[in-house]
Amino acid sequence: MNTERGALSGLTILDLCDEKGQLMGKLLGEMGARVIKVEPPGGDEARKVGPFRNDTPDPNQSLNFWAFNTAKESITLDLDTTAGQGLLKKLALNADVVLESFDPGYLDSLGLGYDDLSGINPRLIMTSLTGFGQDGPYRDYKTSDIVALAMSGIMHSCGYDDVPGSPPIRPSGGHGYMISAHYAAIGTLLALNWRDMTGEGQHVDASIHEACSCTTEWAVPIYVYHGGVVRRMTGRHHSADPTPRTMYPTRDGGYVNIFAVLNSLNQWWSLVTWMDSEGMAEGLTDSKYRDMDRMRERTNPEVDHAFEVIRKFIASHTAEEIYRGAQERKFPWGVVRSPDENLDDPHFREDREFFEEVEHPELSETYTYAGRPFISNKTPWRTFRSPLIGEHNRKVYAGDLGLSDEEIGELQSEGVI
Amino acid sequence: MRRHALEGVRVVDFSWIVAGPTCTRILADFGAEVIRVEYDQTLDVIRGAGASGDSPNSSGFFNNLNRNKLGVTLNVMHPRGMEIAHELISISDIVIENFSATVLERWGLDYEAQRAIRPDIIYVSMSGFGHSGRDKKNVTWGPTAQAISGLSHMSGLPGEAPAAWGFSYMDHIAGYHGAIACVTALHHRNRTGEGQWVDLSQVESGITLSGTAILDRTVNGRTYRRGGNPPGNRAPEYGVAPHGAYRCKGDDRWCAISVFDETQWSAFVEAIGSPEWTGDARFSTNEGRVSNQDELDALIETWTVNYTPHEVMHKLQSAGVIAGAIQSPKEKVDDDPQLRHRGYLQEVEHAELGSKPLEGEPIHLSRSPWEMKRAAPLLGEHSYFVCNEILGLDAEEIGQLMAEGAI
Repeated sequence: MNTERGALSGLTILDLCDEKGQLMGKLLGEMGARVIKVEPPGGDEARKVGPFRNDTPDPNQSLNFWAFNTAKESITLDLDTTAGQGLLKKLALNADVVLESFDPGYLDSLGLGYDDLSGINPRLIMTSLTGFGQDGPYRDYKTSDIVALAMSGIMHSCGYDDVPGSPPIRPSGGHGYMISAHYAAIGTLLALNWRDMTGEGQHVDASIHEACSCTTEWAVPIYVYHGGVVRRMTGRHHSADPTPRTMYPTRDGGYVNIFAVLNSLNQWWSLVTWMDSEGMAEGLTDSKYRDMDRMRERTNPEVDHAFEVIRKFIASHTAEEIYRGAQERKFPWGVVRSPDENLDDPHFREDREFFEEVEHPELSETYTYAGRPFISNKTPWRTFRSPLIGEHNRKVYAGDLGLSDEEIGELQSEGVI
Repeated sequence: MRRHALEGVRVVDFSWIVAGPTCTRILADFGAEVIRVEYDQTLDVIRGAGASGDSPNSSGFFNNLNRNKLGVTLNVMHPRGMEIAHELISISDIVIENFSATVLERWGLDYEAQRAIRPDIIYVSMSGFGHSGRDKKNVTWGPTAQAISGLSHMSGLPGEAPAAWGFSYMDHIAGYHGAIACVTALHHRNRTGEGQWVDLSQVESGITLSGTAILDRTVNGRTYRRGGNPPGNRAPEYGVAPHGAYRCKGDDRWCAISVFDETQWSAFVEAIGSPEWTGDARFSTNEGRVSNQDELDALIETWTVNYTPHEVMHKLQSAGVIAGAIQSPKEKVDDDPQLRHRGYLQEVEHAELGSKPLEGEPIHLSRSPWEMKRAAPLLGEHSYFVCNEILGLDAEEIGQLMAEGAI
């Protein structure tokens, strides 16, 4: 039994996606599939997304592209040419999966839709990730990350209740696309499992609008069962009714999240004892603060006093001090970190070896990347840097399709690849 | 004849709250037989979240997360209860849980113990910090995980406190990563006969979403915590304008608009009736629009405030401009023709909640689709069924187990 190879090793995936679906191919490639990114000559538009290495715009040095296109090869191919369409069909003949994110109907119009490709390769799985799905009244509407987060209700739930006039907020980082790419990856893997059982390929139709609409926690149930409409609240859960804040500023300009403060006497008293040990309990050690029924009443001046004491205690410490002190006492409190601050946390960096050193031989550099989503004890995860534009043209067109140097040169001069 | 992608797959689901049940919701919707194991002395808090009454069966949120699953109550602290857990594992493909890192070990059910019961078992553990490392015992909720991983910090207006995420986003994403792990592990087992253990940390799962910010630090030496970050609704990664949420007609109503190139800008100008200000030289190039975003956004709002978010969206989309109304949950449920067309909501009958719409799956497989078959289990609803039909115990044995408090 071979335990050295990734779970998806042996699979060949053609990745025709733009930015919308780029994470899908990365997830599958890092689990062992051979993912060939098929981009237009000149490169995918996703290569224009910043920031860039040394802030110098270069399609081979977009850090956003680097982050989400690891573990892929790249070929260039102009699908609008007849020769290009022929080459894609040849590639599809021996592929297991095609991932694409074109406007609905575009590949069909080129004779490269699911019906066409499954005709020549019935075992083929094609996953189409689009803004709104393959059919319906909004099928031809265009999407972007902010539009996906807007229409799905995610932005409705994110923002401020204490910054007058402020809009709903798009959490930055490309989450509308990432949510959808995760779902589309699940759909692809489910189709693969079906093929394992039956030998049949199929078409997976994934919608960004639906994927994000399914990612709003209890917003829909609160409306369906209670008629309540949740509202955005600074730094905490959306709610149909006002809620107390949970995010508190720290001495060093950061923030911490505090939860479950009054859930149990044990936990509450552990907090009081902690504050008292630093002379900051301000009378909370008095037995009247041990009456948990009283402490859970919303309109109780003693509760207001207690939270004012907590606020001052937190404001006199650094965010990391509060986080560490709280976790030692088993409070589920967190620190609001900038993502890169986790590079300095030995739990992730040293103990779990979460971060990956990735070689960039073209730059004679090695850079640290965010790593795997989970650890499997049998099927190793791997990564390697994202491809340069058309880096694998020769490998694929000569090696896989058996084209001669002359033929490849001709395709290049005609602008097909 | 097979109909669903995961038909014939059985899952013992010890998970609770949101992250684990999100993972097993997807598995159940695609036909896996998911047996949710609950302990009736420590109820899943979601059974009380947004509940319509005191009954543990009256939470619509629980219904949404746990439809299509079977529900048994089991006391694993009782020796016979633990025996039942072993018997379930012995006839299952996947075991999943999202307790703190040491709970299953304490139960005597770590991976090696599970493998002794079922050699090809797939075990997926979903904890906050993973099952190894100095902080593995740390306690997390969804908002804790998204704060530590850096995602909360990346959402907000520059100069203000973080707006963060308005819900437990990382419970969703960890659930999706869990589902990816389960189905990938099934594929590996299909090929090799080998099971595996997947150790998923919710915080790490969150850090994978911020790979660009990690690289900005390791390549450019720059932390994300700096002036101008987070960027509100602007998009410095694209370097384009306009890009944001614009105030519309109505109380606190907004529409997102994003313009990426000159063609879209021209279409936008025409769609809003080419008001005089659009001829201002400052706005004639993307660079100019980016440098004058405050004024540009204010001028755009002089147009958007005259229309509802949906009017703005339709006017702009029909002109080829990428725009979308910021929809409320009510609008998603009642007024979104696309979601309705695609079957986003499916009604199922629940014994205590009645017939209510539940959110479906956004992935439509042409040959092996998902299906909304039944509502979430009432507390212990399938205890008898599972013991009798699946484990083959007779009525007398089951009665005995119930009397002893094992189930």
